Formats: sequence, structure tokens, C-alpha cells
Amino acid sequence: MKHPQLLFKNRIPGETVFFDGYRKSGGYEGLEKTIKSMSPAEVTELVKASGLCGRGGAGFPTGTKWSFFPSDQPGPKYLVCNCDEMEPGTYKDGVLLRTDPHQLIEGMIITAYALQTPEAYVFIRYAYEDCAQNLERAVAEAKEAGYLGKDILGSGFSCEIHVHRSAGRYICGEETALLSGLEGRRPNPRLKPPFPAVRGLFDRPTTVNNVETLANIQHIVTGGADWFKSLALTEEGAGTKLFGLSGHLEKTECFELPLGVTLDEIVNEHGGGVRGGKKFKACLPGGASTPYLAANHLDVPLDFTAITRAGSRLGTAGVTVFDEETCMVAVTLNLIRFFARESCGWCTPCRDGLPYVAWLLEQFEQGEATEEHLENLRGQFRNIAGRSFCALAEGAMGPVEGLFNCFEEELVDHIKKGRCPFK
Amino acid sequence: MVNLTIDGKEITVSKTATIYEAAKEAGIDIPVLCYAKKLLPYGACRVCLVEVEQMKGRLIPSCTTPVTEGMVVTTMSDEIQKVRKTVLEFLLVNHVIDCPVCDKGGECDLQDLTYEYEVVTNRFEGEKFDLPTDEVNPLIERNMNRCVLCGKCVRVCDEIVGYGSYSFINRGFETKIATAFDRGLNCEFCGQCVSMCPVGAILPRPFKFKARPWQIKEVDSVCSYCGNGCTITMGVKDNKVQTIRFNDKIGVNDGNLCIRGRFGYSYANSDDRLTTPLIKKDGELVEASWDEALEAVAEGFKKAAADKGVGIISGARLTNEELFLLKNVAKAIGTENLDHSGGECYKGVTEGLVETLGVKASTGTFPQVEDADVILSIRSDFYETHPVFGMVVNQAVKRNEAQLFIVADKKGKFGKLPNAETLLHKPALEVNVLNAMAQALIEDGSAVTDGVDGLDELKKSLADYAPEKVAAATGVPAEQIKAAAKALAGANKSAILLAYGLPYTAQSKEIAVAAANLAILSGNVDKEGSNLYLCGEKANSQGAIDLGVIPAGSGQGAQQMLDAAAAGSLSALYVVGEDMVTSYPDREKVEKALDGAGFVVAQDLFLSPTAQKADVVLPAASFAEKDGTFTNAERRIQRVHPGITSPGEAKTDYAIFELLANKLGAGLSYTGPAAVFAALANEVDAYKGVEFNAIGAQGVVWGGEELKAATKKVVPVKGAAAVDGKFVLLTGSALYHSGTVSTHAKGPVAVVPEAYVEFGSEDATVLQVADGDMIKIKANGAEVQLKAKVDKRLPQGVVFAPYHFAEAGLNKLYKGEAAIAVEVSK
Ligand SMILES: Cc1cc2nc3c(=O)[nH]c(=O)nc-3n(C[C@H](O)[C@H](O)[C@H](O)COP(=O)(O)O)c2cc1C
Ligand code: SF4
Ligand code: SF4
Ligand code: SF4
Ligand code: SF4
Ligand code: FES
Repeated sequence: MKHPQLLFKNRIPGETVFFDGYRKSGGYEGLEKTIKSMSPAEVTELVKASGLCGRGGAGFPTGTKWSFFPSDQPGPKYLVCNCDEMEPGTYKDGVLLRTDPHQLIEGMIITAYALQTPEAYVFIRYAYEDCAQNLERAVAEAKEAGYLGKDILGSGFSCEIHVHRSAGRYICGEETALLSGLEGRRPNPRLKPPFPAVRGLFDRPTTVNNVETLANIQHIVTGGADWFKSLALTEEGAGTKLFGLSGHLEKTECFELPLGVTLDEIVNEHGGGVRGGKKFKACLPGGASTPYLAANHLDVPLDFTAITRAGSRLGTAGVTVFDEETCMVAVTLNLIRFFARESCGWCTPCRDGLPYVAWLLEQFEQGEATEEHLENLRGQFRNIAGRSFCALAEGAMGPVEGLFNCFEEELVDHIKKGRCPFK
Repeated sequence: MVNLTIDGKEITVSKTATIYEAAKEAGIDIPVLCYAKKLLPYGACRVCLVEVEQMKGRLIPSCTTPVTEGMVVTTMSDEIQKVRKTVLEFLLVNHVIDCPVCDKGGECDLQDLTYEYEVVTNRFEGEKFDLPTDEVNPLIERNMNRCVLCGKCVRVCDEIVGYGSYSFINRGFETKIATAFDRGLNCEFCGQCVSMCPVGAILPRPFKFKARPWQIKEVDSVCSYCGNGCTITMGVKDNKVQTIRFNDKIGVNDGNLCIRGRFGYSYANSDDRLTTPLIKKDGELVEASWDEALEAVAEGFKKAAADKGVGIISGARLTNEELFLLKNVAKAIGTENLDHSGGECYKGVTEGLVETLGVKASTGTFPQVEDADVILSIRSDFYETHPVFGMVVNQAVKRNEAQLFIVADKKGKFGKLPNAETLLHKPALEVNVLNAMAQALIEDGSAVTDGVDGLDELKKSLADYAPEKVAAATGVPAEQIKAAAKALAGANKSAILLAYGLPYTAQSKEIAVAAANLAILSGNVDKEGSNLYLCGEKANSQGAIDLGVIPAGSGQGAQQMLDAAAAGSLSALYVVGEDMVTSYPDREKVEKALDGAGFVVAQDLFLSPTAQKADVVLPAASFAEKDGTFTNAERRIQRVHPGITSPGEAKTDYAIFELLANKLGAGLSYTGPAAVFAALANEVDAYKGVEFNAIGAQGVVWGGEELKAATKKVVPVKGAAAVDGKFVLLTGSALYHSGTVSTHAKGPVAVVPEAYVEFGSEDATVLQVADGDMIKIKANGAEVQLKAKVDKRLPQGVVFAPYHFAEAGLNKLYKGEAAIAVEVSK
């Protein structure tokens, strides 16, 4: 099925649209409209009404987040765009910036206006060097055209956007760790409260938003809140979503689809079905930190709310599919090793607990697991999730939770057979 | 205030409290590992998790979560028990568990918690860490195999010490604490990280295998080094001070110490201590009995008094009670020639402050500085003279965003703080800069002049100190002078700090007067919470001033006594607790005086170069053997308690004075320090009403938290002329040492074993000088040789050398000038 395209409306595979192309397709009209006819508070209200939820993984309502921001507080304030994107299975922000980078720049300028932040940063991983260069060019072009810099379109509002290449690790994507990193410190997460809106970058009020979140803003400004809401297929959803497909599918590409699209449509239509005609076994619906969905979940509509009823989360909507021949214990082990390696080392449950969970899963894979290991694994889930300093460890437990929800018998099978049944 | 319920107990606490603090107040114990009262909230170890009814579904870290109204907290349940136990199991997975040989055993938080939560077996197996230990330096051993990554060492070194030795490196399971480039520790060695580490990962090396904690007797006393007056808790075993224990419960220092307080105690245990009296016979000092020695001293003084007189010069590390007895001894001898600390350096207080503000001490207390929004520190080495006060300034700047201005002739650690600005002037021109700041306030009309005496005269004299003019002479930009003055005047609460001591004998009074003028004109004197601090170099510098161990009536001051003795017009010198040959300016003059005085008595712990020249040497006791009081630089009278007895026949100065007075026929019949204190409190107004035995753990601040200025008189004071010369030598104090006594302490000596001359990197490059090169320095017709040290804090053309070391003979070069032109060659 063909769906309306906003973020990908200019998409030509292998090419990047810059200023001229972007302008031709209506680019910067949202900014002009904002600057000429809207107050900062009105922008925030509009975004609130649109129902836009953060695309960085947590799905927090963007307008609500902005409404906590002290935009009239004097002194420096910051907007930061999170383009760390290191979660396995997640690559949509990269695609967006390779396709149409001006969308982010325009979205950031409007957001900076709404929040009244004269300074904005894009925190981007060094591995996305091409995207960083695209952004730098877009920033230069926007400045040249008077959409960015001092006194934008004669409004008196000024804004600078800095592109910051980070050394980039998974933890850098956690917003407070990102701020530490941006300050030049070790990217350890920080205590909340105080939230970044109160004490963020350089201890000043800061809002952190994801690339895709910000890229949606001018579409909301031009199309209106009701239109944006109506783009989703479900009542609860709002707007479209970039779904990054990966794993055992015929087509592993990034698609822009309405929120609320079913898993079945994603797998069998857009993904071209499971690779080699095999059967669908499971998927990570929203990146590596979300609990698995299994074959009985194919009819679940993927929006932020509906998916939680199926016991998972939409996360970043990076859908990684596993076919029937995949050992889910092995998949989980692989993921846990990633999280254990990426733990910042700050808090005990994550730093020391994740390697232990990995060790337990190894016992299963090596055929040395016993009932005791199974109960230990179940116990660890309780001892780590909700006990850690930041959400990394919580996310790491997503696949483990999924394993118990959908594939506990596979664990038992490993014990019974004394080996990995898939090997 | 906030009301909440913890374990069914209803309690009311301050709204800034965390759950942990609230529980503690209610007498409910929650285990913690990474929490520390004096550090910012952290929340990493997760042993302090509790349940909160309003936040169901998660466990809440009690150490970081603020209380809210109506909160219902449960601190123990099956779930909590399980999670805590798991956290401990996790921590133990790769911990070496070498408790039998770990010095922390018996007071290790991990050991205690493991015991409490009965972590008998570990369900988890893992590789034990096998990291090499860092034992490159002599003072602090780091064994990261025992580390629980609580981050306290990292945080204290950054947040409080302001040094930043440590950081976390690596990720995940590989995470560990490391220094820059993971090399051996090389820092200030203040030992704050040692005191904060909850396990045996950072330990004091001098204490290794010395004692188990329960074998140790703890004795609270006061550090004998500087005027900061830090509380130190001695760990005593076998009549030796084995270590200094961590104690953040009492005192002004919040458990913080500098290297001298933490590792400098060992001079008390030194094998070089004098253990018997010595009498010079045929040019040799030979052992004698106390009776013989005292007889000789009494005889000698009696004879000298009848001849050209006796002079008494004391140090400022004696207790108040001892200084009081010394005054009695002076009376018994019949001399008014009584002085201390070289007689010059403290004049900023006894003359400068007296003439302007009518007070004889700092007007505020240290903790008040934490709330100051503008701080003016005169001399960059404030941090080096009073390091723990320096840490208070750190916190004012880093936590409370105070603005810090430093008027100094070299850059220092203060200057590296955020919001800090150094008004870097040419040597010896402090007064010029302070005058210019005063002038700036007068020029822009913001000077406070209500009720100020002497204004017209001051204005006249300040006309020569327009910021622009002073800028040209001192090298400090006029704009900077004006901005600093403006900030100071605009402060809600300001603090002006000035350290004084033996290495700064020149312009003592002038700088203090200029600072006091500025304090008056900027409103510092009038505003509540704003104060002027003059901090003495020695533990009881303030006490010596309070007790009036200064010349009175027709009495001679220290320098006059030395001149007189050198000229043969003083018959005897009694030098108590002072190594004049090493530490007083103009060594030649001191030596001549010792030679010229017919009879010299030295009372000391060591056979110092001064004592070597004496006719009788009396072996005295260290602070660790004394009972009495010190008064610190914020007027806090604190109790000194004896932890050990003196070696051999050494006696406390108290005991010696008493015996000597008896020999002199002036029987002193005090029953002990309490009685002496009562007698002195009767004579010294400020101490009236203070009772020795009622002096508690926080001491008694005489005059109250804020000492009201009795007068507000501005006094014209002349600046100095810049020193001419290709190189100018500054002397001063090194962070690691204090006076000369620290050169007998293993800790400070391990880090800075000998004198050095410091070059800025620019000069070092031009002169092709590298660390360790021998350098000849010539001035005033003398030459000394010192090892070079290259640093970044000195401006071009300025060299610095610390004054503590006897062999270096630095005081052969300077005669009391603030700075001198020197010739420098390799
Ligand atoms: C371990 C971890 C990694 C994260 N990585 C990213 C990331 O790469 N990009 C991102 O936008 N958000 C990431 N997040 C979420 C951010 O913390 C934050 O919620 C998000 O940037 C907010 O933007 P949004 O409201 O626009 O989604 C991560 C969170 C965690 C806990
Ligand atoms: S859960 Fe703890 S250790 Fe893991 S990344 Fe977050 S703060 Fe670091
Ligand atoms: S001894 Fe002091 S300066 Fe050195 S690392 Fe420890 S806290 Fe930091
Ligand atoms: S060395 Fe000690 S203080 Fe530092 S992190 Fe480890 S356990 Fe904590
Ligand atoms: S020397 Fe001074 S600052 Fe250092 S511990 Fe002793 S009293 Fe405190
Ligand atoms: S003491 Fe609270 S988390 Fe460590």
C-alpha cells in the first residue's frame, strides 16, 4: 500500500536534496509562517495539539516536553539535536540526513524559536561523517539565505546551529550523557531531577530532541495539528514514522509509514516477506532495547500506545526480523553482550549485572545451563530492570523480558537437550 | 519543612533533605556506599534503594531522591533485601577479597555490608581482577582490584580539592578509576581520596601493616602546621602516631586535610628528635640532666639580665597556655624583650588592622566564605599556605558560583577555577594594585564613605594610584582593576583574604592597610557575612597575637634583638620553637646575633642550625604530646590533646617553662593547662568567659562569628617601586611544607625533599633550563645553588624558591625584601 510521505517526500535513493530542491518542495515555508505569524508559545501549543511523540525511543509527547522549558528565562539556553543513533537495528536518522538534511535544520530553527534558544547543537556520531557534512552544508545554505544566523527574516530572533561530531558510543545517546559529552566530559548520565529543561548543557536550560522529531516540526506548522494527527492509522497515533527494516527480510530498507501500520504489513509488504520464503519467528519492533514480538503479534498496529498492550515498545521503530531458524537465546546473548559492552560503568546493576546476564545466557548456549540458571536469569531481570541509574540497563532487559514472554520454552529446551537446539 | 513517613515513623525534615538523610535523622539506617555528605548527589552503587509508596514499581535510590510531602517510605522488605544482596554479589564477583592483608579490614564498608547481608556464597562466578597496584609514590597506594567504583575519589579530588587527579576510564565491565594516561599518581597528596574510599582501594602507604583499626586509639587534636586549624584525629598505637584518621564529624575542616595535616604528623615520631638536654662544653654540645641544664639556663639568664639583657624569641606553634607561661618566664627574667615569628610578618594584624578597623584578627569564620559571592584573594599562594581554606574557596566558586579575584605576583591553583581572574602584577606591588582598586571605587563614586574617617587624606594619596597609572607600573590592565573593584563593591557578601607569615616579612603592615582600606570602601566591613581574613602561617599565630607575645613598653622586637645581639649589646637569647637560622630573612644577621649574644638557649624538637649554635639546648615536645589550646586564623580556640608521651626526656614547653620559672625563683603554681587558661582568660579580654574544659569539638570562636570593626579609618599607604633586574626572586611557602618543621616529616619530604628554584616555562626555554638542573643564584653578595623546577605559573623574569630548607640557605640572599633582583646562571 502507498502511504503519504512527508519526511521522505523528496527522497531519491542515492541522492541528497539540498537547498534548491528543498525550497522547491516547499521548504522553509514553515519557518516563514512561524516567524511571521506565530508567537513562540503558539508553536509549542500547536506541537502539543499535533500529538507528536519523541522519535528518539522514549516516545514522550514533544509539545509537553517543550512546555516545561523556561523559554523566557534570561541567559543562555540550548536546543540539542540527538543524532547519536547507535542502537543496533536503528538507522533511520542517518537515512533522513542523507536524504533531505534541510528538514532538520528548518525544524531546529522553528524549535529554537519556540523555545527561544539562541544556540543549538547537533550531536552527531563520527561514523555519520557524510551526514555531518550534509548538515554543515545545509547550515551554510540556510545562513546564506537568511533563514539562520542573526535576526532571522528580520524577526529579531537569532539562532546559531553548531554541528558537533562526537566520539559516539551507545550511552552518548542517552540525553544527559549526551550533554556531559557535549561539554567535553566523560559521557556519564546525570541525575534527574534536575531535568535538562532546568539544568542542562553547561548547567543551563536545555531541550534534547531526536532528529526525526525535529524534522517533523515544519510539516506540523504547514499542515496543521489535525492533519498531522490524521496521518496515523490509529486513534492514538499521530503522524508518520520512519521504520528501519533489518534482519531476515527480503528488503531491508527504511520506509516512511503511518503510525499504526500493522507488523504484518511491514514484514510482508514493505519488507517483501521473510528472506528465502522462511517463516517469521519474531522481531525487535523498535530497536535492540524493545521486547520481542512473535508471530502471534503480526496484527498488532505499531503506534506508541497499541504496541505496549502487546508487551513491547515502539522505541525507535527499527524493526529487526528473525526467521524460524533463529535461536532467540543466541539473539538475546548477542544483544546483551552489546549492552554490557556499552554500559558506561557508573552503576552496579548495569556494569556488573549485565556481564553476569551475558554469562548466564552463555551457559544456555554452551549447553551447561540448569534449572538454577533459568531462575537466576529470571531473577536478574527483576534485579536490574528498574534498579539502574539510567535507562540503558532497563532497555538491555527488554530482550530478556521478551525472551521470557515469548520464548521461555526455548530456554527450557536448551537445558533439556544440553545444547543449543539450533546448532 | 516536609512531613513524611519512614518505616511507619512520622518525621519532619528540611525540604532539601534526601530520603537517606531524613531516615538518618530519624535514626533509621540505610546502607550506602557511594553516598558522601560533602559530595554532590551521585546514586551509582544502588545499595541504598528503598520503596516509596508514591513511586511504585521501581526501587528508589534514597541517597539522591529528595523528600516530598506525604511520602511513605519503606527501607526494608524482602524485595529490597534481595536487591541489596544482589548488588553486593555483583560487587564481589570480581573483587579480590583479600581482607586478611587489606589495611581496610575491620572498617571496610564492603566487608561490613557483606557481613550484614550475609552474602555467604556468590551465585555469580566471574574473573577476579588482576590489575597492577600503583605504588609509585611513597604516600598513597592504589589497588584497583578492590575498587567498587563508587567514584568518591574522583569526586572529592575534583569537587573539593580542585585538583582532578582521577577519572573513570573504559566502559562496562572494564570500567576503572585511573589517573591521566593511567600513570602513577602524582598530585598534591592531600589524601582526601584516601579518606573517602569506602574500601581498601586507596590506602595510606606509611600506615601499611601498622595496625588493625580496632588496635588503634583515636585522639582528636588540632593540626600543628598552619593557621587553618584543622581537626586531626591521631591513630595511636605503641606510643606512636601511626596515622591520621578520617574524621568529618568535628572541626572546621569537614574531614579535609592537606598533605601536611594528613601525612606530616610523622615528625613527632622522628628518630632525629632531641631526647635529652644538651650543654655546650669545650665547643661541643653534650648530654646533660634536666637539673644541670635548667640550672645553667637560670644562671645564664640571671647573669645576662644583670648585664645587657635577655631577649626572647618564640615560634607560633606553642599553645596559648605555653605562650602565657613564657610571658611569666620573661617576667621572672625581668625582660620586656619578647617577640615571635621574626617580629615583622604579623604587623598587618597588630598594626595594620588595629589602625584601620580597630581589631586584631580576621573578622569572619571560614564557613562564611562558602556563601560569599565575590572573593578577593591577595597572593596566589593562599592555597599553598592554607590549603583547606583553599578548598572552602573552591567550593564557593565551583558550587556557589562565587567570583574570585586574585591579586598575585604568580599564577596559582586558584586562578584555574572557573570564574577566577588573576590580577597578575610585577613582584612586590600588591599595595599598588589594592590602592588602584580603592581609587577605582572613589573615581566611579561607588565607594562607601559613610562614617569613614581619614577619607580626605586617603583621597589625596590615592590620586597617585589611578588604575591607568598603576596598570603601567604593575602590568595589571586598568580594566581588570576596575572590574575587580566594581565586583567587590557590588557583592552581597564578599571575602578578602590575605595570608601572612615568615616568608612574607616585607610590607606586612602596608598590604594589610591597603586591604582594610579596600574592605571599608567596598562595603565589606559593613555588610553582614562579608569579612576580611588575615591568616597566619602557623598553628597558633593568632594565639601569639592574642596573648601579646610581642614587644611591650621598652621591649625590643625580634629584629632589634638580633641587631643588638649582633652588635654585642644583648647578653642572651632564648629561642623557643623557632629555627631562625633557616627561616628568618638575612641568615648572616641571625648567625651574627647568635654568635654575638654571650649566652644562647634553644628549645626545640630538633638540633636545628639554630640549636647547634646554642649554649644550652632543651628538648621540647611536639603537638602530639601536648594538652592545651591553639587559636586559628578565624579566632577559633581549639583543644589540643596529647596522644603520645614524649621520647626520652623531652618535655613539653609548658613543663619546661614551669621548671625554669621555679629555678628563677618565680614559682608558677598552676595545676595544669585548664588553670593556666583560666589565668590567661582573665588577662586577655577576648578570651574572657571562655572555659578550657567547656571548649567543645567545634572550638570557641572568640568575638563571635563576626567581629565588629571598632573603627572605620582609611589610612594612606604607599605602594612600592618595581624591582629592577633581569630576574626577580620571590620566596614563599610550598604547598607541601610549613615553616621548617615539615622538613622533618616523612610525608612532605617524600614529595618535596629539598629546596628548588622554580622557573616559568618561557624563561626555562630561553635559559635552556630543565627540571633538576643545578642553578646558581646570586644576590646581595651571596650565592646559593638550587635545583631547577620548571612550571607554568611564573611570569617571565620571575623565579620562585620556597624558604623551608636549612641546607639551601635561601635567606643568605634576601634580607627581608618582598622580592629581590638576582643573577641566575647554570
Ligand atoms: C541508552 C540510551 C541511548 C539512547 N540513544 C538515543 C539516540 O541515539 N538517539 C536519540 O534520539 N535518542 C536516544 N535515546 C533517547 C534519549 O535519551 C532522549 O529520550 C531523546 O533524545 C529525546 O528526544 P525525543 O523526545 O525527540 O525522542 C537514548 C536513550 C538511552 C537510554
Ligand atoms: S544503567 Fe548505569 S552503568 Fe548502565 S549506562 Fe546507565 S548509568 Fe551507566
Ligand atoms: S591525594 Fe588529594 S590531590 Fe591526590 S588524588 Fe587524592 S584527593 Fe586528589
Ligand atoms: S578507588 Fe575507592 S573511592 Fe575510588 S571509586 Fe574505587 S572504591 Fe570508590
Ligand atoms: S597544614 Fe593547615 S590546612 Fe593543612 S591540615 Fe594542617 S591546619 Fe589544615
Ligand atoms: S548510596 Fe545511594 S546509590 Fe550509592
